[in-house]
Amino acid sequence: MTAKQLSPEIEARIQQLWPRFPPQNAAKALCIPVLYLAQQQFGMVDDEVVDLVAKRLDLPAAHVRGTATFYTMFNKKAVGRFHLQICTNIGCQITGAYGVFDRCKKRLAVDNHGTTEDGNVTLSEVECLAACGFGPVAQIAERGKPDIPLYFENLDLERIDQILDALAEGRVPTELGS
Amino acid sequence: MGSFDLKIISKYFDLPEAKDVDYYVQHGGYAAARKAVRMDPATILGEVKASNLRGRGGAGFPTGIKWGFVPQGSQTVYLVVNADESEPGTFKDRHILFWNPHMLIEGMIIAARSLGVRNAYVYMRGEMLREYPVLQKALDQAYDKGFLGERCFGSDMALDITIYRGAGAYICGEETALLSSLEGGRGWPRLKPPFPAVKGLWGQPTIVNNVETIANLPWILENGGQAFADLGVGRSGGLRIVSVCGHVNKPGVYELPLTVTGRELIEDVCGGIRGGRKVKGVIPGGVSMPLLTADELDVPFEFDALQNDERIREVEVQPGVKFDLGGGRTLRTMAGSGGVVVMDDQTDMVSACWRILHFFADESCGQCTPCREGTGWLTKVVKRIDRGHGRPGDVELAASIADGIAGNTICALGDAAAWPTLAFLTKFRDEFEAKIRSSTFVAQQRAAAEQGAP
Ligand SMILES: Cc1cc2nc3c(=O)[nH]c(=O)nc-3n(C[C@H](O)[C@H](O)[C@H](O)COP(=O)(O)O)c2cc1C
Ligand code: SF4
Ligand code: FES
Repeated sequence: MTAKQLSPEIEARIQQLWPRFPPQNAAKALCIPVLYLAQQQFGMVDDEVVDLVAKRLDLPAAHVRGTATFYTMFNKKAVGRFHLQICTNIGCQITGAYGVFDRCKKRLAVDNHGTTEDGNVTLSEVECLAACGFGPVAQIAERGKPDIPLYFENLDLERIDQILDALAEGRVPTELGS
Repeated sequence: MGSFDLKIISKYFDLPEAKDVDYYVQHGGYAAARKAVRMDPATILGEVKASNLRGRGGAGFPTGIKWGFVPQGSQTVYLVVNADESEPGTFKDRHILFWNPHMLIEGMIIAARSLGVRNAYVYMRGEMLREYPVLQKALDQAYDKGFLGERCFGSDMALDITIYRGAGAYICGEETALLSSLEGGRGWPRLKPPFPAVKGLWGQPTIVNNVETIANLPWILENGGQAFADLGVGRSGGLRIVSVCGHVNKPGVYELPLTVTGRELIEDVCGGIRGGRKVKGVIPGGVSMPLLTADELDVPFEFDALQNDERIREVEVQPGVKFDLGGGRTLRTMAGSGGVVVMDDQTDMVSACWRILHFFADESCGQCTPCREGTGWLTKVVKRIDRGHGRPGDVELAASIADGIAGNTICALGDAAAWPTLAFLTKFRDEFEAKIRSSTFVAQQRAAAEQGAP
């Protein structure tokens, strides 16, 4: 197995962001941005990725690990090719989010934070995505791909079925997003 | 109400062209910032003070007064825009960031001039995947035009603005947690005082302001602080952006005069309740704030009115015993984040209360025991009532746990969990008690008693 390496894109981003912080504070301040980019590259932030980031920024691994585990957007273990994230907080709850979420659980045969047997989809219940007027709302991430800048709004059983169908076919249904 | 037609920040909502710097400039944009960079900083501060602008992030603190806390002669001052919007029910900042990024940038230039800031940051919620590229592009355009950088608008003022993306933690919206996160660690709140305006980012004076607060500054500078104050009422200047969600016909983001009442908001602005149903409860400013019942909606959704109007019932710890906010003050509700959640007459209030608590228990950073333990315990008790396993005394138990959290924590997340809980228990107590009366626990107790009876 070849050892993991941070991509040249991450290096470039570090160079770009570094001068925006006081010299003595920059390495620490870059911890979160670099973890985020590393997760995009490797799909998760496990111990190996933590060590890599710590080494690059010359920070104690314990600090980087503590930071990584504090934030929910860092996946500590591998997630599926698609990460389907559904808000069930108040605005979405009262417009039917749990019905939508239960449909996902049933069709994917997983629990919250579970991954389908084929590794295709991980399902997560998330907190308010600040799109409450158009709930229930979901976001989707695809491993190794840039962020998908879309919200999947006004979900009902029909729309979530269409989303699940598309994910099963191996694609993000961008036509359903806004 | 003529001022209903006035739009300050929302004038560019749903207008994709306005994201482009040229369009924005052609329509008068950046004129206020261009003027500001050559103005005396104290003059700008005077206008902001005169405007009665109050913070739109939750606490409603007067912006000019906050700026005035920065110690005179400070060498390094930071400006941080709080774009972490994650208070459930709130979706206005995301809307501003997506539709009107240049007005935020322009406001930041004005604030930076007044405060003597060289480096400013926008702490942006990590989940804002759609808004991040929009704001980054607007920033790139502003740099290209020479509005930002070494010489803003050709003046001797230098300013860099950097977006810092969060990574999923509600608590990072709290200003001291936000600064901890921006420094590159866990988002742990810090005890205040010292306030960030005195000792903030990397130990330097730092002003943290909400997106909407800052986006109001170009209008204030252009039209004068007094004109902004005149738009408002009493000690609150300007208009207010609210986001409305839940069971209304027309949910969305609206910029309105501060005189608009809850009922006008629902009926006139949002087209009434879906399906011809009736309203049952309304959260006026994000889930941290005590909810209102259907007969408390004739109060203007304005900072002071929501706190003091006697038509809003005071929150209680037990029937007849008022909750003490400290110093004998009572709690009605507050304008909070402007996130309005409208619940119709079919809404299960116990379930709604549980979901809110579940959120706070998950998001507690765990630093203080009353918050960490209390939110978990509270969630457990309310959940069991909701799921039909409640026990006699659970309502009293929940109220006493909430009362034990409030006022006893490092940051306001503890209060944010306790206050709405007490309001649900005060105003919808019968729903909690009805669920307990029909619970499996009570049924088992009754069966056991009957078996045991001779
Ligand atoms: C738990 C908690 C979460 C908060 N979340 C946010 C937030 O997402 N956005 C925000 O602007 N303010 C938030 N605040 C308020 C900030 O601490 C701070 O008061 C505000 O950003 C100051 O800006 P303003 O004076 O312009 O309102 C939060 C406060 C608490 C206690
Ligand atoms: S009140 Fe809660 S969230 Fe705030 S510092 Fe204490 S434990 Fe953390
Ligand atoms: S409650 Fe679901 S997006 Fe806000």
